[in-house]
Amino acid sequence: MSSAASRFPLPLFAIDHVPPLVVTPAGSMLRKLTPYLFVAPLIAFIAMFTYIPIVSSLNLSFREWNFLSPEMPFVGIENYRLLLGSRDFWNSLRVTTIFTLISVPLRLGLALAIASYLVRETLPSRFLRGALFLPSVTSTVSIAVVFSWVFSTDYGLANAVLGHLGFGKVPWLQDPQLSLWVMIFVNTWKQLGYDIVIYIAGLQAVPQELYDATAVDGGRRFHVFRRVTLPLVMPTTYFLLVISVIEAFQVFTIVEVMTHGGPAGATDMLVNMLYRVGFVLFDIGTGSALAVLLFIFLIVLSFVKSRVIGRRVHYEA
Amino acid sequence: MKPENPILSGLALAGGLIFLSPVLYSIWMSFQTVNAYYSGGLEFTLDNYQRAVGQFNFARYLLNSVIVSGCVTVTGLAVATMAAFAFARYRFRGGDLLFGATVATLMIPSHISLIPNYLTLAEVGLLDTYAGLILPAISNGFAAFFLRQYIRGIPKALDEAAYMDGATPLQVLWRVIVPISRPAIFSMGLYIFISEWNNYIWPLVAVGKEDLFTLQIGLARLYRINPGEGLIDWPLVMAASTITILPVLAGFLLVERHLVRGITMGAVK
Repeated sequence: MSSAASRFPLPLFAIDHVPPLVVTPAGSMLRKLTPYLFVAPLIAFIAMFTYIPIVSSLNLSFREWNFLSPEMPFVGIENYRLLLGSRDFWNSLRVTTIFTLISVPLRLGLALAIASYLVRETLPSRFLRGALFLPSVTSTVSIAVVFSWVFSTDYGLANAVLGHLGFGKVPWLQDPQLSLWVMIFVNTWKQLGYDIVIYIAGLQAVPQELYDATAVDGGRRFHVFRRVTLPLVMPTTYFLLVISVIEAFQVFTIVEVMTHGGPAGATDMLVNMLYRVGFVLFDIGTGSALAVLLFIFLIVLSFVKSRVIGRRVHYEA
Repeated sequence: MKPENPILSGLALAGGLIFLSPVLYSIWMSFQTVNAYYSGGLEFTLDNYQRAVGQFNFARYLLNSVIVSGCVTVTGLAVATMAAFAFARYRFRGGDLLFGATVATLMIPSHISLIPNYLTLAEVGLLDTYAGLILPAISNGFAAFFLRQYIRGIPKALDEAAYMDGATPLQVLWRVIVPISRPAIFSMGLYIFISEWNNYIWPLVAVGKEDLFTLQIGLARLYRINPGEGLIDWPLVMAASTITILPVLAGFLLVERHLVRGITMGAVK
């Protein structure tokens, strides 16, 4: 790697050593600029649409603005005070937290159990993997619409199946006690295949000798799973844990299509509230304050994740 | 591969079909007449598709989705590949910092930019345009990171040989690096295309004009406005839903392995 760099004085540091007679100032300038020109478009887009918006959100969160008025007065922490004093915010935080705390362990537990059965490269296992993975690349809106039908009270699939078993009709999406569970179910159905595929990749990275060694020692199946598989897929579990928590806290589409946050706020997630405050009520200040709070929370989680990935690298080396 | 156990194969097939049954049934339903659906009869028609396309403008939404996802994929790949090349092959002042900033975007939750990006595009008059749908989606830190890792694995001797022959850096990228990286670029292209195809919140925010609706927006609205009187016209809605998922479904069946590779490489490696 370093030998190539020294033989070919393209990249920069070496350029100082090139005799001035060989390279004209203009040519040398261009060479120095080359890497910057290559990264410039990406960096410009990232700055424009990712980094500057963080600063703008912070700024807007201290102002009062309805998107139309020419003034946007500075109001200090008023928006945060308003938000933290509102029942909607605490309701959304509660609903989103419950959603996350139930759906994430459910997803990961099911995924690991299924992955350990599907890890072998046989045709049936390949087929099932494909079937389970399909929803994770399918349109979330379509899935939400299809499951709105599945869980509709009078003509839905769920109640039809229950009817055959002799149960009465259940108002899945109208009952505040049930609708959040439906959201968890649909989200799990959609994301499970992704978790399974990641777990299978993790499981396949476990050296076969470890299994063989345990088998020679007379390890039983569950014993092997607990003593060998579980610890060795721990890094994968950490990875999935943190990304699925971040994802769960930002769940939006399923809820927006299926319930609009209802009934009576029972499925009103934080991002659904953000959308409503910012783009329906056009309360830019409060919407931004909500975005900033959620952002800070998720960034803290992301740092946990990056630490974990760092640990994973050591683990493998 | 070992010889298949027929019982296991049967179980796997049944399990997969049951798991996918809601979607499979929705496709089946999209060919039924409304009357047959509600009365439980068997009567098939293409009328739902004709109405979705004719009366409810789904051909236009399909075109919009193809344009937006296509442009995001092509420009996103170009921008990411160029940056990946520089990050993989050059050491330059600020390079590590810029690479760090690129990778860090993977951890930045997208909701934070929703309101500011809306305001930015409103300011320059790009709301309700294709550009407004495309521009915020172009930068893809994950693609840049993934491709940079891939390019680092390509022997430098190949670049050197090309430079010896008098190639410019752009020619080296285009003639040497891109052809070798084709599998990785293809995987990333699929990943970007599918993510953009299924994107809902940004088009929801950035577009109000019906002419510019993507399939996701059109489908959500068709379901919400409920064209059946009293009873929802489920077969029509399912025809629209099938139009929305079919391109990705067809692509998935063709290239599942590439897709899975892209996703697992990002997560595990």
